[in-house]
Amino acid sequence: MDEKDLKHTISPHFIKVRLISEMITNIIGFIVLLILYWLDGYFQWPDWVGWILHILLILTILGTIWDLFEPKYLYRSWRYGLDPEYLYLSYGVIKKEWVTIPVTKIQSVSSTQGPLMKMYKLRSIKVETMGSSQTIPGLDEPTAFKLKEEIAEYAKLKEEES
Amino acid sequence: MRYHPLTILFRLWQFMKNHFVPGFVLFVIKGNSTFWLFEYGRYAFLFYASVHLIYIILNWFMTTYEFQDNQSFKLKKGIFVRQTSIIPFNRIQNVSQRTTLFHRIFGVTSLTFETAMDGVDDEIKFEVLTKKQASWLMDIVKRVEKNHTRLPETESKETIRIAEVHFSPSRRDLWKASFTSLSFLAVIPIAVSLYDKLEPFLPDPERYEGMFFQIINNIWLSIIIMIVAVCLFIVAGMFRTFVRYGKYEISSDDTHIYIKQGILNEVFFTIEKKKIQGLEMKQPLIKRLFGLAEVKLISSANSDFGDDSVQVNSLYPFLPMDQAVELIKKLLPSYSFDQEMVRLPKVSLLVKLLKPGWLWVIASLILYFFNPSIFDLHIPWWVWSVILLMIMMVNRFLDYYHTRYAISGDQVQWWHGGFTSRLFITRRKNVIEVGFTQSFLQRMFHLVSIQTKNRSTPVHIEGVADVPLSFARTFHQWYRERKKEVKVQ
Repeated sequence: MDEKDLKHTISPHFIKVRLISEMITNIIGFIVLLILYWLDGYFQWPDWVGWILHILLILTILGTIWDLFEPKYLYRSWRYGLDPEYLYLSYGVIKKEWVTIPVTKIQSVSSTQGPLMKMYKLRSIKVETMGSSQTIPGLDEPTAFKLKEEIAEYAKLKEEES
Repeated sequence: MRYHPLTILFRLWQFMKNHFVPGFVLFVIKGNSTFWLFEYGRYAFLFYASVHLIYIILNWFMTTYEFQDNQSFKLKKGIFVRQTSIIPFNRIQNVSQRTTLFHRIFGVTSLTFETAMDGVDDEIKFEVLTKKQASWLMDIVKRVEKNHTRLPETESKETIRIAEVHFSPSRRDLWKASFTSLSFLAVIPIAVSLYDKLEPFLPDPERYEGMFFQIINNIWLSIIIMIVAVCLFIVAGMFRTFVRYGKYEISSDDTHIYIKQGILNEVFFTIEKKKIQGLEMKQPLIKRLFGLAEVKLISSANSDFGDDSVQVNSLYPFLPMDQAVELIKKLLPSYSFDQEMVRLPKVSLLVKLLKPGWLWVIASLILYFFNPSIFDLHIPWWVWSVILLMIMMVNRFLDYYHTRYAISGDQVQWWHGGFTSRLFITRRKNVIEVGFTQSFLQRMFHLVSIQTKNRSTPVHIEGVADVPLSFARTFHQWYRERKKEVKVQ
């Protein structure tokens, strides 16, 4: 469960993609808040609505500042590894997480690509097991396809029911 | 083959049971009402009921089952869209046979085969069966299971072995159970729901009010009424416990575990030993005071019927601690209990106590803003907040005190929990995923939380929090050696 054991990192383009998408989300958040403030003034909503809006505004501002730095650190924290028996993932900025999944327990593996990711030729890999689903975000397209093939190959074997 | 013809009657009976209250209201209580809702409601109800009746009959005609090569069930169902499904016997996780009052009257029984195919829970249910058919079905399923394990010929020949009875509660156990289960509190919701249903019959509540206040004013009278009510609760609770656990029996043979329970509604539950994914021993506060524990067999199929009935996969839920351990040793000799368990280092207590309690923060904020007068006591909000904080801290301290863990051979044990403590035991090959998390606070003290997942519906998640990093490393290494036990097809 040491990161040093896991060789693979995700693509550095991930930082930009994540930053842009987070900023878009935040801008939408600010617009919604702005509309709510306007509605509050127009309809003279009770006092506590104003308080909640203030709290939301503060949280959104703090969140935006955090989102400016987070992608870089998240990128640095991401490691993954695959051998014929296990898939290993490790990530997390404030809260670190490690996951180990026996490949025989993987039920499906898929790759997705959003419009932003397409610009930077990135793909994310989603692995689903009986117990959870894990996503490796932002891999270079060739790496992603290779990884997907590899997982699918290893996961073909199934354990004997017992 | 079609299901037993009595299935139609059984489904009709179920329908009537579930729709008794609306029917009664529409046709009897408000039978003379000309209010449009009741007037048209009666027609709608009749229409719905007759459509349902036709559906039940058609469904019976259109649903068939057969056995394919004595290896799997083949079910065909659907009135407009036909659906065929094939379920191999070796996918069956557990079998339960229920004999309700209805079945008793007609001398029949019902069978449910729980399967877990890739996490999706679906079951094969025979709602009505003759007893002979039921035992025949259980027998062939069992035989296939046995062949699948590739036992030597000699052993599979003696199919019916007499199971050894391990536990059956004595009268004293039942008394203890009915006090500790607090099941008599269940009377309250029943009483409330009964009152709701009966309210239309009762005369105007306003007429009662005078009498009600008279009772309240008379302290002696209200004390007597309270005592009578509590006695009634206790008697009702005991009745419930005796009906549920009165005829309770846990037995096993080499390959299977059998649990029999219930007086009015009989349930007979069978599970193959090797299909048990793990064991859970739970001790809520009240049970701990009485030295009792509840043992649950984790299997990949969900065997909760979702209605009033007890979870059948739980062994007798009021076992004395030492007896519980003995029982598990007898039922599952492959699980060992004797090895030493490690406790958390002192620094874990510090981390546990320092961890931010968001629930408490939110609760305190709510208390501050709304300042409710709870129980009509005029106590400032911060006193409640401090009380909550103390409860939380005691819970965390108890969690630290209870937490113990061990890995030995291919077996892992977690023991943790505050007011309710839980012991979980499983084998390496049954753990389908492991995860580790480390919060900022934990990182400062080199602690990690471990999480294991086991097959069940839904997935069974267990783990211990705040263990030393070195143990987490050992555990990960241990898990990586899983391939030793796992056979690949």
